Amino acid sequence: MTAKTADGKEIGKEERHYHPQATNCRDTKEKYGAQWKVANIRDTSIQPHQAKKETFEFDLPEGVRTADITVDLFYEAVNPDNKYPIHTITRRVSLDKE
Amino acid sequence: MRIILLLLIAAFVMPLSNVEAQKAKTIDELAKMFDASQCKSCHAEIYAQWEKSHHARPLMGVKGGLMLTPLALKKGEKGSTAFSEDDPKKMKISNFPCFKCHLPQAVTHAEDSVAVELTEALLAKDSEKVAKLQITCIVCHNEKAIIHKRELGGPEKGVLYSAKEVTSHPDATFKTVKKSAIMNNSVYCGQCHGLGPNLEFDQAFQCANLYGSYLHNYVSGGGTQSCQDCHMKKGDHLIAPNFNDEKQTSELLASALSLHVETLGYEWLRKANTYTPKVVVTTKITSNAGHRIPDG
Repeated sequence: MTAKTADGKEIGKEERHYHPQATNCRDTKEKYGAQWKVANIRDTSIQPHQAKKETFEFDLPEGVRTADITVDLFYEAVNPDNKYPIHTITRRVSLDKE
Repeated sequence: MRIILLLLIAAFVMPLSNVEAQKAKTIDELAKMFDASQCKSCHAEIYAQWEKSHHARPLMGVKGGLMLTPLALKKGEKGSTAFSEDDPKKMKISNFPCFKCHLPQAVTHAEDSVAVELTEALLAKDSEKVAKLQITCIVCHNEKAIIHKRELGGPEKGVLYSAKEVTSHPDATFKTVKKSAIMNNSVYCGQCHGLGPNLEFDQAFQCANLYGSYLHNYVSGGGTQSCQDCHMKKGDHLIAPNFNDEKQTSELLASALSLHVETLGYEWLRKANTYTPKVVVTTKITSNAGHRIPDG
């Protein structure tokens, strides 16, 4: 999730990561690759029948009353540079009533 | 003359019908044993779908990667694994536990020399040679088609198994197609798209959890669709996703996951006469997949 001012200055950025996380059960380092992993120790992945709800909250800098919000949902395979876009949703939020 | 003729016939059919009789000593021999290119002549569309699938390149990873390379590295070398050896010549089939699913025919039909040749090919980055090793039609429609072997016996030589029976199959080697008890069932895919840690090996490891997720998070919540219902619609043997096709993968993911966003802007009153301009964004991701995302 990214928030920018109307002139494009970034004022907020947060990420959430959804995936099973495994170690080799001999140390506490997460492992990537079946040849090193032994068992999941945490699982934040998106499960069937279970919605993932998040709340992102941030303060606007002084004098800023409008923010452009962009929420990107994408899938990463093998490494973070290999992205598959899924959804992008944008919203303009204003503190001034029209 | 009759003997010569019989020998000629035997030589002609050996690549497919003789898979039970002997083990392959080389990658080429193993590839030939399970070569299914003859299927293309009658099943062109299905074959073309399979050619683009990850089943056609099970050792190649995503976008051309050679995913077994860490196992081939010299023991102790950075990036090597518990399955690596200090000399490629020492590598055996058992040094590649990934074969359980990524190349099941190697476990049953390959000599350790195939493991040595593969190790050397991986170290030489010989993608062309590694790519010869595939999960072909014969692997799925014969080798993996029966899981009730005590009741039904093992896969028969010269027989293919499918979702429906074909009494007369016009092929020189596989003349019969028998109905598989499980080919339409998720458990068939679950043989490889797994339950979690592979604890039966002397060095446990974990690959896919997908079937475990299906059983424990989808079926348990009332889900009734099978893997095949979603991933093999109309018999599609691409069995998406194909991670080498970015557009198609994005579309598949978008069809499985929905994203809903709501925003709120207001001025928060922390204490008298002190307002903080604030934005709140709430997101909700829902999934209609029958398993966790991501998994494999």
